[in-house]
Order: sequence, then C-alpha cells, then structure tokens
Amino acid sequence: MTGKVAYLSSEWRDEVEKRLRDELSPEKMKFITTSVSFNYTGCPGGTDRYLYLKTEDGVITEIKVGFGEPPSAEFMITGSYDLFSKVTQGIVSSQRALMSGKLKLKGNMVKALKLASLSDRINKIMSQIPATY
Amino acid sequence: MAKRQKNDPYFIDFAHRLMQIQEMMARENIDVYLGSRLRTLSWVTDAFCPWRSYIVIPAEGLPTVFTFVIDAARVADESWLGEDHVLGYAPMGGMDQITQISDFIKDNLGLKKGPIGVENGMSNYLPEGNLTHYEHESFKASLPGFDLVNAHHIVDRLSLIKDQGTINRFREASRIVDKGHKAVKEAISNGGWKGMTETEIAGIAALAMRRAGSVWEWSFTGGNEIASGYRTGLAGGACTPATARKLKAGEGLMVDIHAMFKLALGDHAHNYFIGCASKRQLWHAKNFTDIVARTLKAYKAGASPLSIAEEMMDFAETRGFAEYMVPGFEHGIGLMGDEWRIGMNDGPIPYWTNPDHTYQENEIVICAMQYACPQEDIGFRYENPILIGKDRCEPLSKFGLRVEVIE
Repeated sequence: MTGKVAYLSSEWRDEVEKRLRDELSPEKMKFITTSVSFNYTGCPGGTDRYLYLKTEDGVITEIKVGFGEPPSAEFMITGSYDLFSKVTQGIVSSQRALMSGKLKLKGNMVKALKLASLSDRINKIMSQIPATY
Repeated sequence: MAKRQKNDPYFIDFAHRLMQIQEMMARENIDVYLGSRLRTLSWVTDAFCPWRSYIVIPAEGLPTVFTFVIDAARVADESWLGEDHVLGYAPMGGMDQITQISDFIKDNLGLKKGPIGVENGMSNYLPEGNLTHYEHESFKASLPGFDLVNAHHIVDRLSLIKDQGTINRFREASRIVDKGHKAVKEAISNGGWKGMTETEIAGIAALAMRRAGSVWEWSFTGGNEIASGYRTGLAGGACTPATARKLKAGEGLMVDIHAMFKLALGDHAHNYFIGCASKRQLWHAKNFTDIVARTLKAYKAGASPLSIAEEMMDFAETRGFAEYMVPGFEHGIGLMGDEWRIGMNDGPIPYWTNPDHTYQENEIVICAMQYACPQEDIGFRYENPILIGKDRCEPLSKFGLRVEVIE
C-alpha cells in the first residue's frame, strides 16, 4: 500500500485483513474459534463505531468495520475512540487500558486469558498500518 | 467438569439441591439468589472455592459461579458445573466482580427489577463469606430497581439434614482422621516423642491422612491443632494451632486433627500424657472421659444444645470439676465453610446457635468438649463428628476414647 489510510475506514479494514491473513497462520492463531467486537465510543463526528473480528479454527473469517450497534460477539471490548486509537498505535498497551478500567471487557474472562497473547499479536500487526487517526 | 456416578457412595444429587433452592425461591418470590458464603458455594457446586466467590442462582436453569480468574478453571474442573457456568472475575474494566455479576443478572438473565436474595449476617467463623457492606452497597448501586433481600435461610434450611452421600463422605473423612491418629500414636510411642515438637506431630498426622485420601487439614484454626504442656490447659482454650514447643515428660498432649474428603470434614481430638502421669492428672483425665462418654449418650433426636449442656454441667458439678468445663458441648459442621452455628439463625442471639434447637435425625454436629485447668497446666479436648439418630448418635471417628500414658 502507498500512503496512509484513515483509521477504521474500509481501506484500513482491507489492509488489516490482508496483513492478518499474511502474518497470522492458523498455527499462530492456535486454531481458535472466537469473535470479538471492539466498540468505539465518542468517535470523530460524535458517532459510535466498531471493529468486528471473527476466527474459525484459527482462520480469520470475518472483519467488519461499521457505525452504531456492533454485531454480537463472544467478547465485547468497549472504550473511547481516543483510547482505542492509542492502543492501536502502540502508545498505550491494551493491558494498561483494561487494568485501569478505561477499556471494558464483556465475555468469559477465563477464555479471554487464553486469547490475550493472540490479541497482542493482532494489535501489533494493526499498529504497523500507516493510518491517520 | 468432574463426572459423578449415581452408584458412587459419595454421590450427591446436586441437581436436586438446585431444584430445592429454586422451589424455595419461587415460594418467597425471589427472582435470583446471589450466594456468597463459602458454605453455599460448597453445598451447591461441590467444589472448594478458597477465593472470594459468588453463585448466581436463577429461577430456572443452572447457576453460575463467579470466582477469582486465577482459580476459575480449576473450580469448573472440579464442580459439576461446566466451564460456561464458572466465570472468572479480574481487576479489569468490566471484569470486576460487581460489574460482571450485575451485568450477568441484567443481560444474561434478562432481569430488570425485582428481589435478589443475598447472604447478609455475621459470624464468628472467619471464612463465612457474608456479603460485605461495600459489596451490598455496590450491588445496590449497579442494580437499580432491584431489591436486595436477606435469604440465607434458604440454604441454611436445605443443608440442615444430611443426605446419604454427605453422610458417607463424613464417615470417610473420619476414617481418614483415625489413620492420622494411629500414625501419631505410633510415632510418639516407645520414646518416639523425645525431641518432637507440636508442629512435627501436626505434620505426621497430615502425611498419614493425605496418604489415606485427605486433601487438606481444613481447619482455619491452623490446620492440625496440637498442644502440649500448659497449652492444653489455657482457660477455655479450644483453639491451639501447633507451635515449635517440644514435648516434655509429665505433660499432657492434645492432638486435634482435621481431614477433608470431598468437602466433608473430619475432626477428632485425642489426648495423651507423655512419659508418666500423676494421680491428680489421672483424676482430671477420668473426669474428662466420663463426661465425654456421658455426653455421647445424650445426643439423639429431640435433644437440644441447652438440654445437653444443663445435664452435663450438673454431672460435672456433682463430680467437682464443673469449673474446668467450657459449658458448650458441640458446634455445627457441614460441607467446607459450614462451621460453628448449628441449625437455623433462629436463636435469641443473632447468628449464634439457638440453645433450644431441637436435633433431628441425620443432622451432623461436632461433639466438642474442652476441659481446662490452667492452674495445673492441664487440659483435654474432645471433638468428633456425630450423626444424630432417633435414639442415639453415631460418633464417626472410631479412635478409642481414653487418655493414654505414652512411655
């Protein structure tokens, strides 16, 4: 890709999908089947947005970005656009954001523990996408 | 999730227990029960929950346990509930216990308002687990429209009479305790006691009991309670965590050991004299064994803690040793976390045993007696789980009642 893409735009989504498929094999994804929805509040323009990811047996099968109500997912992580953008850029760690209560998780915490390292891998890949926030 | 076979002598029908709770909830118009006491967790889940835990029991369907995330997978593995019904809480946004349980009640159970049964009260027993003031206020704030009502009597009522699986578990826990006593006796006999400390005795008993199937010397009073010398005679002293004190000839030794088998609790105390005993010491010992034997005969359905205490204190008075007796002869017991108070919370002093509680068949209590003469540095303890029968009681530990002189 050349230049920067807008964070959470369809172009950014396409780039996320391409990079995740290239860099995260099912082995690296531990063959997991799950879904997670990142719910952004207070986005520019005053709307709520979401990023939805779904995997089946370690294969990323669905990535969606959108406005308003997010799709139902096994895990829901809710926080401000500002904070999520900092997490995506690697300025703030997701762990700090969760442990400070600024990001709110819904879902089975025991299963979430198993997915924490995978989430970090995904986030690291997303942080390398040149984007405007 | 551990499998449970109906033909297992230790089988408990937890689904039936759940149904009984839900029936009582329905009768009392309680939409959801939020249990927090250790006794409730044990009685419903069949798993040991050492971390602060909660159980949310809906009007219908399976309950869900919330425990500290570091232990949730183990609890799910050991309980009869699957991993979808044992959730972990953690210090993360949305994952703390108040938020998670409140969200669960609202979102997963779909409740908007109504009565929530909670467990409030007080206890002399540290790990009881009543809802704290902070938790109560926090749940109230995060569950607007709901009414938190005290409902621990539901589990108290249902857990009072022991079913066959529970009784069998208690019998086995006592059999294991007897193995511990046998090992201690062998270890201290024939001069083995020389140089030995109270803590070593606690460890010898623990090893033997673990080999026999115990998973824990469960008592919060320091595991196995061993006392020697003056420590046996501490006034009213029915709590003696073992110390590094060495045994000495001419002194008493109190061995009060605990085993846990499938959450059922063994608890039996046996007493010795080390090396030799004076005539006066033997007089005290006879007083003690006589009153224990008499007390065991008094337990049956229809008796009460007060009727037994009055009869036994009269006996002690006629024999001239009433001043050495703690005037209580039992404490409550149930699956892990259910200790001390007997029966319902219906006595004149809230959250203590009702002295007029009428024993019924298939209740289990610990027959517990403490004899202490501080001025002579001598004392004895008796503890033994007993199963209340129609005309008698069954002492579950079979280690013989005597105060032995160990050479």
